[in-house]
Amino acid sequence: MSNLRVEHLGKSYGSSNVLTDINLSVENGEFIVLVGPSGCGKSTLLRMIAGLDGVTTGDIYIGDRLVNGLAPAERRIAMVFQSYALYPHMDVRKNMTFGLKFTGVAPAERQRRVDEAARMLRLEPLLGRYPRDLSGGQRQRVAIGRAIVREPDVFLFDEPLSNLDAALRVSTRVEIARLHRLLGATMVYVTHDQTEAMTLADRIVVMSEGRIEQIGKALDLYYAPANLFVAGFIGSPAMNFFSGSVEAVDGGTARVFGVGFEPLALPAGPLDRGAKVTIGVRPEHLRIAGQGPFATSGVVELVERLGESSFAHVRRVDDKMLVVEVRGRETPAVSENVAFRAPLQDIHVFDASGQRVPINGSH
Amino acid sequence: MAEPVPQVVAQMPKAKLIGLLALFLGPSVVIYTAFSIYPLLATMQLSTFTGESGGGVHFVGLANFVTLLTDSLWSTPFWNALKNNMIFFAIHMAVQNPIGIALAGLLSLPGLKLKSFYRTVFFLPTMLSVVIVGFSWNLILSPLWGVAKGALTAVGLGSWFAPWLGLESTALVTLALMSVWQFVGIPMMLIYAALLNIPDELVDAARVDGLGQLRIFFHIKLPLVLPTIGLVSVLTFVGNFNAFDLIYSVKGALAGPNFASDILGTFFYRTFFGNQLQLGNPTMGAAVATVMFFIILIGVCVYLFVVQRRMRRYTF
Amino acid sequence: MFLEQRARALAVHAVLIAYSALALGPILLVVMNSFKSRNAIFGSPLSPPDSSTFSLIGYAKVFRASHIVVYFENSLIVTLVSMGLVLLFGAMAAWALSEYRFRGSTAVALFLSIGIMVPIRLGSVAILNMMRTAGLNDTLTALILVYIAQGLPMAIFILSEFIQQIPMDLRDAARCDGVPETRIFFEVIAPLLRPAIATVAVFTIVPIWNDLWFPLILTSSDSTHTITLGVQQFLGQYITDWNSVLAALSMAILPVVVIYVVFSRQLIAGLTSGAVK
Repeated sequence: MSNLRVEHLGKSYGSSNVLTDINLSVENGEFIVLVGPSGCGKSTLLRMIAGLDGVTTGDIYIGDRLVNGLAPAERRIAMVFQSYALYPHMDVRKNMTFGLKFTGVAPAERQRRVDEAARMLRLEPLLGRYPRDLSGGQRQRVAIGRAIVREPDVFLFDEPLSNLDAALRVSTRVEIARLHRLLGATMVYVTHDQTEAMTLADRIVVMSEGRIEQIGKALDLYYAPANLFVAGFIGSPAMNFFSGSVEAVDGGTARVFGVGFEPLALPAGPLDRGAKVTIGVRPEHLRIAGQGPFATSGVVELVERLGESSFAHVRRVDDKMLVVEVRGRETPAVSENVAFRAPLQDIHVFDASGQRVPINGSH
Repeated sequence: MAEPVPQVVAQMPKAKLIGLLALFLGPSVVIYTAFSIYPLLATMQLSTFTGESGGGVHFVGLANFVTLLTDSLWSTPFWNALKNNMIFFAIHMAVQNPIGIALAGLLSLPGLKLKSFYRTVFFLPTMLSVVIVGFSWNLILSPLWGVAKGALTAVGLGSWFAPWLGLESTALVTLALMSVWQFVGIPMMLIYAALLNIPDELVDAARVDGLGQLRIFFHIKLPLVLPTIGLVSVLTFVGNFNAFDLIYSVKGALAGPNFASDILGTFFYRTFFGNQLQLGNPTMGAAVATVMFFIILIGVCVYLFVVQRRMRRYTF
Repeated sequence: MFLEQRARALAVHAVLIAYSALALGPILLVVMNSFKSRNAIFGSPLSPPDSSTFSLIGYAKVFRASHIVVYFENSLIVTLVSMGLVLLFGAMAAWALSEYRFRGSTAVALFLSIGIMVPIRLGSVAILNMMRTAGLNDTLTALILVYIAQGLPMAIFILSEFIQQIPMDLRDAARCDGVPETRIFFEVIAPLLRPAIATVAVFTIVPIWNDLWFPLILTSSDSTHTITLGVQQFLGQYITDWNSVLAALSMAILPVVVIYVVFSRQLIAGLTSGAVK
């Protein structure tokens, strides 16, 4: 196992920039998740680490070894693909040992590794079968097994759960987390699903349009998103945003006005008079008969009841939609006009460029 | 395979269904049966008759076949033609298919520039008529013009040159190579299409597993396109044993020199229509055609029952 | 790694260009030299025609001594009519086999597909007799009928595969509207088959246009010859007249090349899609 370092990495095809100035440092044994919307560059970054795509600028170090010019097999990495990529004309055992043949691993050793991986992943009864005779979940386990037998320094996962149905996704996710604990391996995992990111990662790398927006632990991203993008990406349903401006700063307190919420008094922090801000509050932090300086209201248009929690979709005064989580059996009625409040600690403030503004009393 | 018969069709009155089938299937079945199946059967039937001096025919059973295979007047050219056809086929399998596979392999490499240019160029000879190909190469290889000789001399192989088309020992091989030159585009395209079908992620997985491009081709790509190669082989077989146009347009019906380039197609033509050396003999011609049919049938059956059975078609 | 990649790419292109030269060379040679005077053909065969060597003498002879225009017309008629009818009858048959299924449907489909593998030429003996009896000997009609029979099996196969892919919602909607069956085929299904036409065309047009065997056997008079047969006989007759020979060959090459280059994308797409069986 080893660490992984990416320094000032950039990738462009002709004149279009796919990745810009990516800096990332992964500790030995850490589980890092690259998450972001389609086209953000996360898969490209993974492929560059793997050596499947070339580097335009920057350096990649695996185990403190510069790997820029090395072929994938020389980097001591293993990859699990979204579509499993199993060789259809080979049985499971052959699929798992095929690559080892070309990296000079002796037959006895190959056998040993396959048997051990098969035991770990409960693949023993399937070793003689062909991919076409396996279910999606089984195929994915074989793909993981193929990665394990390579005994790589870094494991790479490219959206491995996307092709599985919902129930399988959960069980395979647990499987991968278990493997991580068992092997203590360094893993880089790509997904567009923030739930996978939040549950699997030691640290999450949120990406957008070829750049890293924020790196941090799951809860850090949740409670202290560095910018509007991360704030809106992490957490489901997404954070509610309100546009406003600072009308007055008076002895350390800023008064923020905007459509859709009542005038808000906040600790000024670095805010100046006239500054444009975006106020963010998560659906789960708004309460119907709540406490706190932030107040908004609107007409309930739809209530999604999911059991213990429900989501009310409310039409705001500025005609945008507000989503509020309501717990318990009592839910507001449609076309009812309801008021909500949120406490100071749950208010997020972002400046005109979308960056987080740290105000006293918030994290 | 397909969805169940649509409700509307299943509940249609019999008469209406029959009418529709007659309208839609009728023309095809009639023309096909009349001009494809019936003539074949009629030919096979004719092969069991022999002509009389008065112009009629009488039944002789398998006598024609016996004559064809044993009477030296017929059997010598027959076995010669059959042997030549085998050589013709062998050269195609040995040269055309590997070149087609290699070109397809190169064309399917990721990130190759000018792909469509190469594809268009490589397939161009296949579009030309065999007459054009035959004659053009005839001119080029002709010692009178000297283009081929000049080209070989330029690379220092001038001593290799010989009037290949005119020599008994090399005529057939030369003609076979001309045919390969023309038709390599077909296996190339079919295998290229099959290679395109292989998902990129599979190739990526092989790269991560440590295989270089050459190994990926032989261990991953080639096994997965084996069914297509089987198809190409049987199409080559049928095409070769049907070949006639090229030999005829370069060498004429006599397929010289001294029948060195005679294949079953030219033998059939000569037998049936005659030439300056012999009268046309429809019944013997029919016999030759029947033998050709069975040879092709055996080849196709081998493909259907042995090759296709063994080869798995992989869906992704 | 990058130097290695660059070198490998160069090697690949080198091989491909070499083969391109081999594929194009003979054709260019023939066409180039057809525009040169006889001396230039022999004197400097590899150089293109310039002002001193340019000559159309061969072309003039071809037009004078043969009915190349008639041959071209004949080929055009035979190919287009055969193609059209193969498409029409083939599509109708493919539709009937997949839609109006009855107990013997698979047997009929199998019966029709035999023609893909078994060459029609073997029945030439009987075909010639049939044509003679029907008084169709030495007519373009005879050629057309034979070519339709030849082209149907492959066309039906390709179109059947294609019909499998068509979403049947439009057909169901038409049936709900009470549209009669024949109209459903001609106005709903047939337009959807347009992409398959390229594939069918590749497999049908080229073998018909380039065929030597049936024109040789079924047509005897000069006025019914197709261009392939006409060129072949012209070549045989004027074999020592290099100018004319090269001109005739070029005239046979150029229309095909032009059409091919113009439609190459559709043709190749048709071939690769039809091949993915």
